[in-house]
Amino acid sequence: MQFARMMKGRRRGGAFGRLLGACCLLALSSLVVASDDYSAFSLQGFGTFGMARTTSDQLEFVRDLSQPSGVRKHWDGRNDSVFGLQGSWQIDPRLSAVVQATVKYRYDHTYNPEVAWAYLRYEPTPSTTLRLGRLGTDFFMMADSRWVGYSYLTVRPPGDYFWYLPFYSINGGDAAYALSLGESLVRFKAFYGLSNGQIPLADRQWDIDGSPMTGASVEYQYAAWQIRASYANITFKNDLPIGDILQAYSPDPAASSRYLASHDRRSDYYSLGVVYDQGPLQVQLMLNRIEQGSNSFESSEGGYLLAGYRIGQVKPYLGYSWIRSVQRNTAGRQVIEAKIMADAHVDQATRIVGLRWDLARNMALKAQWDGIRGEPTSIFPYRNDPASGRWSGRMDVYTVTFDFIF
Amino acid sequence: MPLRRLILLCLTIWLLMQAGAAHAQLVVVVNARSGVAAMSRNEVINVFFGRTRQFFNGVEAQPVDMADSHPDRARFYSALVGKELSEVNAYWSRQLFSGRQQPPVKAASPEDVMRLVLSQPGGIGFVELAKADARVRVVYELPK
Repeated sequence: MQFARMMKGRRRGGAFGRLLGACCLLALSSLVVASDDYSAFSLQGFGTFGMARTTSDQLEFVRDLSQPSGVRKHWDGRNDSVFGLQGSWQIDPRLSAVVQATVKYRYDHTYNPEVAWAYLRYEPTPSTTLRLGRLGTDFFMMADSRWVGYSYLTVRPPGDYFWYLPFYSINGGDAAYALSLGESLVRFKAFYGLSNGQIPLADRQWDIDGSPMTGASVEYQYAAWQIRASYANITFKNDLPIGDILQAYSPDPAASSRYLASHDRRSDYYSLGVVYDQGPLQVQLMLNRIEQGSNSFESSEGGYLLAGYRIGQVKPYLGYSWIRSVQRNTAGRQVIEAKIMADAHVDQATRIVGLRWDLARNMALKAQWDGIRGEPTSIFPYRNDPASGRWSGRMDVYTVTFDFIF
Repeated sequence: MPLRRLILLCLTIWLLMQAGAAHAQLVVVVNARSGVAAMSRNEVINVFFGRTRQFFNGVEAQPVDMADSHPDRARFYSALVGKELSEVNAYWSRQLFSGRQQPPVKAASPEDVMRLVLSQPGGIGFVELAKADARVRVVYELPK
């Protein structure tokens, strides 16, 4: 959506975040003052310094659709760098409070700190966990730790799988229950909340703040195996910020607006993940299917297979990821409608080769090559899409990262 | 003959070291009040990786881990799951920063492990067999 300009980004999310953060800090500082034998405060953090470059100046490579601009042919540190800090308070054996803030490149081109999580956690029994506040969403396996580079093998979570997932947190609650079946375990989890965030679109922002999100997952764990199936959805609160474009280019702006509406349209996310993690070997297979209720987006299927094997402190890995979206029938539609709809197309696969080196305690260096091989029409995952015909669909991405926790 | 004596000395030292290594068998111990008598390897994994917070009898498990600086920690995870400490720490960083769960308390020394295991009915930790006394019960022996 590279046409036109206008509309300043609303900052409701930021203001709410700051308010929420301030309230939590206030509440928690009073708890610390009233500390007794139970209460314990701990502070820990994580971070990544990442640099990446691609082999194309035709468009910009981003980590996911929450980033407003991305990497071209020169080395760029914006998209893969992050710093996070978590404070947690064990108020009593059953109740704790957690606040986590992150600094990273945001939808509005700034690095303003954000309150990523701020919640109370209550465990009425050893097998039940309830959380209330601002929480991470695990639409897909590992979606809630996507920024903690130290915790995974690759330099970033495979894009073909996560591009469509610019949602990070909800203001709401979740409940989890773990059931022991001899040596294996089944874990159920459900969440509901209002989304918190903005999605950048060219020089404007699509406000998804307050859009209801709900989901559930079931996970089975036995020895080295972990299998997880999940369903989640989001019902968008607002239309895409394209009213002015339709006004300018559509012969019937009202009809076009109705046809491309995202307000009150639901997107459904299904996923299946299998992880085998035994000694030096780690293998992951993830599959997803996304059904888009709005004509502005195309339903898609994607997945990835990733395998790593540790030799000493070095872990080479190989991966393959893919995503393909289904084009809607645009016969008889207005030219501008078809053009907007074509912006949501994706059809590509990526080969991944990389190396993780745990060079010192709680520090890792990684280097990775991504070979993206797709159709020239595959432009949805990128920023500043070129005029048609300029993008070949093929690009290499080189990335090095330094990850740490403390 | 000095050379023969040297060889003999080396052999003796080597034998003593072997004996020392044999003694350094790591075991998983629980508070005797937990009512747990034996555990399988997978049950031990489930508790130490926070997959479950309960023993089979419903008693809440309170695992006690060790600090990275103590060599027992690396030996424990290597023997239990074949993982390096960097991998165990990566696992816990995901649990922690995704907001799923906090890692177990970490003891600085085997004496500290024993103290923490004994301080709560569901206490469970790992120590060298020689350090496990009558107040705890050995529920699992790690493969050497």
